[in-house]
Amino acid sequence: MKNMAVICTCILLFLGGGLFAQEENELTEITTRLNELKPGKSRFMMRGYAHSGLEIYENSSSFVGGSFNPIFLWQQSERLLFEGELEVELEDGQTVVGLEYANISYILSKAAILRVGRFLLPFGIFGDRLHPRWINRLPTNPLGFTHDAQVGPTTDMGVELRGGMPMGTGKINYSLYIVNGPTLNEGMVDAEEGGQLHYANYNDNNKNKAVGGRLGILPLNNSSVEIGFSGQRGKVGDTDSEYADVSATMLAVDFSMVKNLTALNSVLDVKAQWNQVSVSDASYISPEDPTGTTEYTFENKSNAWFARAALKPAYVDNAVLKNIEFTGRYSRMTLAEGAAWATDQTQITFGFNYWLDWRTVIKFAYQINDTAAESDHGEGGGRTTGLTGGGAEEAAGGHGEPSGNAFFVHWSIGF
Amino acid sequence: MKALKISGSILGLIFGISLLTAAGCATKGVQPEKLGAQLWGENCVRCHNAPNPQAFSDAQWETATMHMRVRASLTADETEKIVAFLKMAN
Ligand code: HEC
Repeated sequence: MKNMAVICTCILLFLGGGLFAQEENELTEITTRLNELKPGKSRFMMRGYAHSGLEIYENSSSFVGGSFNPIFLWQQSERLLFEGELEVELEDGQTVVGLEYANISYILSKAAILRVGRFLLPFGIFGDRLHPRWINRLPTNPLGFTHDAQVGPTTDMGVELRGGMPMGTGKINYSLYIVNGPTLNEGMVDAEEGGQLHYANYNDNNKNKAVGGRLGILPLNNSSVEIGFSGQRGKVGDTDSEYADVSATMLAVDFSMVKNLTALNSVLDVKAQWNQVSVSDASYISPEDPTGTTEYTFENKSNAWFARAALKPAYVDNAVLKNIEFTGRYSRMTLAEGAAWATDQTQITFGFNYWLDWRTVIKFAYQINDTAAESDHGEGGGRTTGLTGGGAEEAAGGHGEPSGNAFFVHWSIGF
Repeated sequence: MKALKISGSILGLIFGISLLTAAGCATKGVQPEKLGAQLWGENCVRCHNAPNPQAFSDAQWETATMHMRVRASLTADETEKIVAFLKMAN
């Protein structure tokens, strides 16, 4: 009997040992596989967004191709990050690829990050934070914040120091940058455009660099409110021209607020920005004179501002209603009174969005455009040029058509 | 034009009231030690909807939050706590 027990124990130990060895082999194999999948310190991530939609005007309607914006992120180490964004668009039957930004950020310390390359300028918040289609709560951009009619810079090439830190009960963030800056349209090619600024410059037209920055203050300790002050100044004229000393001073004030409204089971998101661009006095060829010999001048000061609110009943029980968001925006743009390209436009856009997830949305909106009567403008004629068109790049007026009211259905996805 | 002006005033009013309510609801005093989940809830909704922690893997969150630290000028401490929370909750 005793012998039997010894034999049984030996058999069990043998089998157990075998099983243990098998488990050990499996463990080694799993560890090897996991090690193969280890992400490493240097990371690559591709993100981005895309959008398209249907736009209906009084006399026409069109499905618009929208855009596809791939974003490439390379995290080389805990301090070094590259971000690059391309914009692939359909324009007049052609595929156009643009470089939105491409820059390197290096984290110098807790409160300082150095950025070099082409980056979105923190001049206010629209260009830097709100313009991506899955972030912008409306299908169109506000007046003065479109590619066609821009009051204030959005991207440029240069060097920037930025960061954020706690301050008292709240926080502050800052940015200081040196960039190429906009260039002045001297009106040599098209006299009607004399005095306008071009913002998307890959090369500078003078030795002078534009200096700018933004200070953001979050006074409340729940980060729900931010007020920002931005400024940029630099020469805009060509070194070898009579406009060499013409400079542009630009100012912006922005406001953000995101707040849970418990009584309405909703989240309220309010954003606003005011931009002003002043170009120093200069004379340009008068477009009224076909011989091109008469000059005229005007006060080259333009303003654009918007305020938008979005209310999302995110905390209600209804599965459909909680994904709906009601939106409204008012925007106004006044361009250089007295200039051939002067205009005074107001726009109101309202509608609702349906969110499929946190970055996929279908937007429905109606947009009312209003341009002040021609007599409102100075002696420059006060014509409304194509440049001063509707909110979206594709919107009425954006390509020289009269701006009108429109209905939009857009979808956007961030990924 | 008149309708636009009226709508503009309404938006202005919403704007003013919302600022007042926000100021009223913020807790007073020195910034308390906050947890990652709370910082995520407060900060990641300021520009876009708060991302779902399950959207990305741990490694992807590290890159995405570093991107946001740069772009949104988050403080170093906030970023550290938020990324720890996202990695735990995904
Ligand atoms: C100050 C505004 C702002 C805040 C605050 C913010 N984001 Fe973002 N976020 C952006 C913008 C702008 C983009 C789009 C980047 C682009 O398209 O260039 C973005 C994109 C993203 C993306 C998409 C991938 C990427 O990196 O582009 C993720 C994920 C993300 N944010 C997560 C977060 C998280 C998590 C937080 C909270 C820690 C946060 N965001 C806070 C502005 C912000």
